[in-house]
Amino acid sequence: MIRLQATPPSNVDDAIAMLQVAIGIEFGTLPPYLYAKFSILPGTNPAAMDRLGMIVGQEMIHLCLVCNIVNALGGTPILTAPVYPTTLGDIGPPGGDPLTIRLLPFGEDAMAQGMAIEEPEEVPPYEVVELLGAAPGGAMTIGQYYALVDAFLATLPASAWTPDNNQITDNQFFAGQLFAVNGYADAHNAIEQIVSEGEGAKDDPLDFQNELAHYFRFGELFYDKVLTKIPKDPGYQWGPAPLGVDWSAVYPAIPDPGSHDFSADSEAAQAAQAACNAAYSGMIDALQLAVKGEAGQLGAAVRKMFELRMAATAALQIPLADGKCVAGPSFLYVPTGSGASS
Amino acid sequence: MSVLETPRIYFTGQMIWDPIVTNNYPRFYDEDTADPVPAGDPVADFRQRAIGFVDPANWNPHGTHRSNFLAEISGVDVGNGLDTSDPFVGAPANFLGMLVDAEPYGTFSSQLFFDAMQFGIAGGYRVTCPRRWRAMSRYINFNRNTWNTVKAGIASTIWQTSIPKDCGLQLDPHDSPALQALVEALADDDVLGLTVRWNTYRTIYYDDPTIRTNSGGQLSVDAQALIAKLNVPDSFQPNPARSELVGVIGLWRTGEPACEPGDRSLLAQLPNEVVATAFARVTNDTLVIDLGNSVTEVDAQLTKQDLGTLTVCAMSPDGSTVVEELGTLAYGRYARCAYLATSGIVELPLTSSSAALAAGAPLQVRSGAAVYLAEEVVRAAPQTQQIIYLDQGGDSVCATLQVLSFGQPAGAGVTVSRYIATADSNGNYTDTFLDSALTGADGVASFEVAPAGQGAVVQYVFAVGSDAPVPPFDPLLTPYIYARTLPADSDIGAKPPTWDNVYNFVLSKWKAMAPCMDNWLDLSSPAQVHAFGAMLKKLTDPDNFELYRFMPVTRDMTDGERLLLWTFLDSPLEAGAGPVALGAGAVPPAPPQRNLQALSRLARS
Repeated sequence: MIRLQATPPSNVDDAIAMLQVAIGIEFGTLPPYLYAKFSILPGTNPAAMDRLGMIVGQEMIHLCLVCNIVNALGGTPILTAPVYPTTLGDIGPPGGDPLTIRLLPFGEDAMAQGMAIEEPEEVPPYEVVELLGAAPGGAMTIGQYYALVDAFLATLPASAWTPDNNQITDNQFFAGQLFAVNGYADAHNAIEQIVSEGEGAKDDPLDFQNELAHYFRFGELFYDKVLTKIPKDPGYQWGPAPLGVDWSAVYPAIPDPGSHDFSADSEAAQAAQAACNAAYSGMIDALQLAVKGEAGQLGAAVRKMFELRMAATAALQIPLADGKCVAGPSFLYVPTGSGASS
Repeated sequence: MSVLETPRIYFTGQMIWDPIVTNNYPRFYDEDTADPVPAGDPVADFRQRAIGFVDPANWNPHGTHRSNFLAEISGVDVGNGLDTSDPFVGAPANFLGMLVDAEPYGTFSSQLFFDAMQFGIAGGYRVTCPRRWRAMSRYINFNRNTWNTVKAGIASTIWQTSIPKDCGLQLDPHDSPALQALVEALADDDVLGLTVRWNTYRTIYYDDPTIRTNSGGQLSVDAQALIAKLNVPDSFQPNPARSELVGVIGLWRTGEPACEPGDRSLLAQLPNEVVATAFARVTNDTLVIDLGNSVTEVDAQLTKQDLGTLTVCAMSPDGSTVVEELGTLAYGRYARCAYLATSGIVELPLTSSSAALAAGAPLQVRSGAAVYLAEEVVRAAPQTQQIIYLDQGGDSVCATLQVLSFGQPAGAGVTVSRYIATADSNGNYTDTFLDSALTGADGVASFEVAPAGQGAVVQYVFAVGSDAPVPPFDPLLTPYIYARTLPADSDIGAKPPTWDNVYNFVLSKWKAMAPCMDNWLDLSSPAQVHAFGAMLKKLTDPDNFELYRFMPVTRDMTDGERLLLWTFLDSPLEAGAGPVALGAGAVPPAPPQRNLQALSRLARS
């Protein structure tokens, strides 16, 4: 799990600062999930493509919802592109190392990483991961972190909220899941949705829409088993039906391409990386403008994401110098002066 | 038979529609030739004209055609009435399809191409429904929401498909009594599978329920805002519409049409069609009526029209005299709350004698002296081929219609006549007799549907009986089939497979009409197109016509265009290939008419 250090916010600025950290986490999960998804060979692993696609879509919604809360509080969401490997602010377990989040091709390691990122406060006993309690000493899971913000937001007067301030809704994308935050009730619903979709409801792998939460979707992929309802405690088990994962149907992509020195690779490989980074940077720039209130820029960000997908597909077919491996997108932000942070 | 039998499962929610609508307008598209208008307009110019027409009409030039549920299981009935405690209740209802009109200018030929629908989730309570037939829109009701005249917002429609139990239908009941009952019922040899029927209504546009009229005002404000977004360079700006939705999953039995309601048809009554056509079934002790598409909502709160207490009557054979009042439906039985709870399906208990009478007497639904619904005792319904695609010079298709008498398959020797429906310049329909056929022992009549001599959209209507005057086409009253013949375009197929030809005569049409294609592939890039050749051939293969991802999504690629594209894809990529733009003039649109055809077209304006 990602453990965050925080104390209860005492004013709106504190809450906005905490939400800004949350924006970084929601945004920061996208590249590793996308890297795994991009690396799956076309036409293979439909169950994995479906699950990863849904997770990525919901993470984008979470990002927009947190931005909506910040805007409703009168703040300005800032998108900061991490450089991978990164910890996304994880402080790690007591005496242990922070979780290092990497760009990994689709495989058991990548799915285990996804489970680790989305791990709930209490891991249900119907799988092999040991039960973990809440971390002591001010360290907390993402869900607990959000709960801390939520508790403070509940204390704010109505005057603390600015309705209709740069809100992103689902008029065009993410139908039925992305809504404006115009007050505490909306913010609370947003936080409930984010936590529910990531970790599941307490003692239940299902989220608020009765779909599997992210942790359990990654679990299905990791174990290659359908999480199946059973008529006895604890209510679910992994399998016996297989999910249908083919770990071999993956491009031979290197991990963490941002740490790779491409200077020895072909011009085509370098150009492919440049195309990926340009599309990624364009997406961030457009998204930054969108959360600042330029409505048409969300469509530009989505378009750039499709460009990134196409650029990634191209990059993953170009051999590196060793003649064996390929590289997916490095997810490196190239500053363009359009407002996002590197 | 049918979803009017128990066990049945109810679902409710919303439906999202994201079709490109540029091809709805003659100024942009010729549905006979399947070409953009004007032919050869440069892609960028065409796109800009399409954006310019957003206000007032072309509401979604960046659409994807994707259409999906936002819905969940809302109740079940295993024979003891509505039950919301079954553990299947609350499970998500997932459907993702491509909304395509065979006749883009009108609204009577909508269909949803999809691969599967799923109720519930893997590992939990679940009904998995692989597609066997497209879901078809039927019985469009232009009286449903007359206060909401924006585009197709005035109308509701029934959607239906059926899934044979030997085609991958899978139920995971766990401890759900309703799903267990369905599994048990499916074991009956007479049960062919499951039918999924849903009703969509109160459609809003721009996600703005305050828009109530079809021009000016807030519509124009929202349209201008969309235009501003569409003009953001290099952006993707879909603008989906939303409908309310109620639905039902139930048994599909032998003799039941797969893609439209069967049972006993209680037809709307002219001239006003206050209550739209409904469907009824009589068992030994119950009369079940599907009012899902029938009763108007009178305001934005979706309050159902109060028609008073409705009386369901068994009539004399000629329908002129009430033989027995079978039961009544007070307003609360069809009001909003009840409608959502059981998706518009209502039940009346019957004594055994009343049931016996009702089984063989025409039914009517009345309120006082007003007759709202009257049964057409013998009726023909297309079984699965409500919409047929043909190729000029290609093979004919055999279309079959099931004749039902009092809701049961008719026997042999019933005459079914076929007519061609045409609309004159005022939009008035005329039905011209074409031919007739006799039913076989199973009550099925067959008709050959031959391709037209050129690209064309033909509407066939049907009536039981020999050649005789029939009322003008009315979607609430008339069984019908659409047949779209795509031109052969042999001249295009014979062209040298150069990039210029492929782009100018095939891909530029898609690129112009469907900007969302840019999200996947740059159709003006010969390198990209060639690199994805295998995928393009797969997605344009006629064998994959029913797939969700078939290309083009509008299903209007001609044989000649396919031949040219495939020949190009099978050839080495020529050096120096590059996109070529074309040019031409504009064609003015036809003026809309106020009548059924006009209402259909108005939904496109």
